[in-house]
Amino acid sequence: MIGNDVVDLQLAETQSNWQRKGFLEKQFSLKEQHNILEAKNSFLRVWLFWSMKEAAYKCYTQQYEKRFFAPQKFVCKLISEHEGIVCFEGNEFYTTTFFDRSYVYTIATDTQKETSVFSSIGSPKTIDLDIKIKLEEETGISYKEIIQRKTPIGAPLYFHKDKLLTNSCSISHHGNYGAFAFMIEDEY
Amino acid sequence: MTKEEIIIKLSTIVKPYIQNEEGFKNISEDTDFMNDLEINSANLVDIVLDVEDEFNIIIDNDSMDKMLTIKSVVEIIKEKQSSE
Repeated sequence: MIGNDVVDLQLAETQSNWQRKGFLEKQFSLKEQHNILEAKNSFLRVWLFWSMKEAAYKCYTQQYEKRFFAPQKFVCKLISEHEGIVCFEGNEFYTTTFFDRSYVYTIATDTQKETSVFSSIGSPKTIDLDIKIKLEEETGISYKEIIQRKTPIGAPLYFHKDKLLTNSCSISHHGNYGAFAFMIEDEY
Repeated sequence: MTKEEIIIKLSTIVKPYIQNEEGFKNISEDTDFMNDLEINSANLVDIVLDVEDEFNIIIDNDSMDKMLTIKSVVEIIKEKQSSE
């Protein structure tokens, strides 16, 4: 499974105030809170952890098909500046984060095995088409014949007629950014 | 406070975060924050904190787990207010 999360830093700065009373306590473990407060750039660390948690959550929910809001229970551990592990109820998710001046973007997978992941960041408006075009490149099937369906919890899946093309797919948008990450079925 | 009064207060709280006007116009007990109002999950915690301030309650982690719909928030508020 794969999950992703993009944070538009400008929107995060104007719409959320991480220094607001209760903001850190509700979402982060004590260890994470310390890490945030000791970081050179606390604001960036807040959104790094958030995107790690959110990407891991999206990975988890595709497998277990239930929704909930429990960011504090997804515990982040940084291995390097870009890589981390998120633990939730005995499950481990491996994260890679990309930093740009204007966004933070994390991809989480539930396996350490080498997997082919297709991912890109663009505009939130064109994301569905961007995925279809990428799928056309990989499968040879015309993007016009590819359709999106959603699982009961709202996770996107892409089909050609009744045939599933993506074995896991995650879409994230925030502010000016839209991002997708997916893995395709083995036969392609 | 009646359910209707709570929903009116909740509408004011969620308004700054909504991205789907149509969903907001039709706000009801069945409204889902993310699916119907397209509220970004990054703002859910702001809503949790706003609800705590507005209704003078504390929302613990177990209650927060369920905060995905207007209905669940109404239930949490009613439960917390009656236990105080």
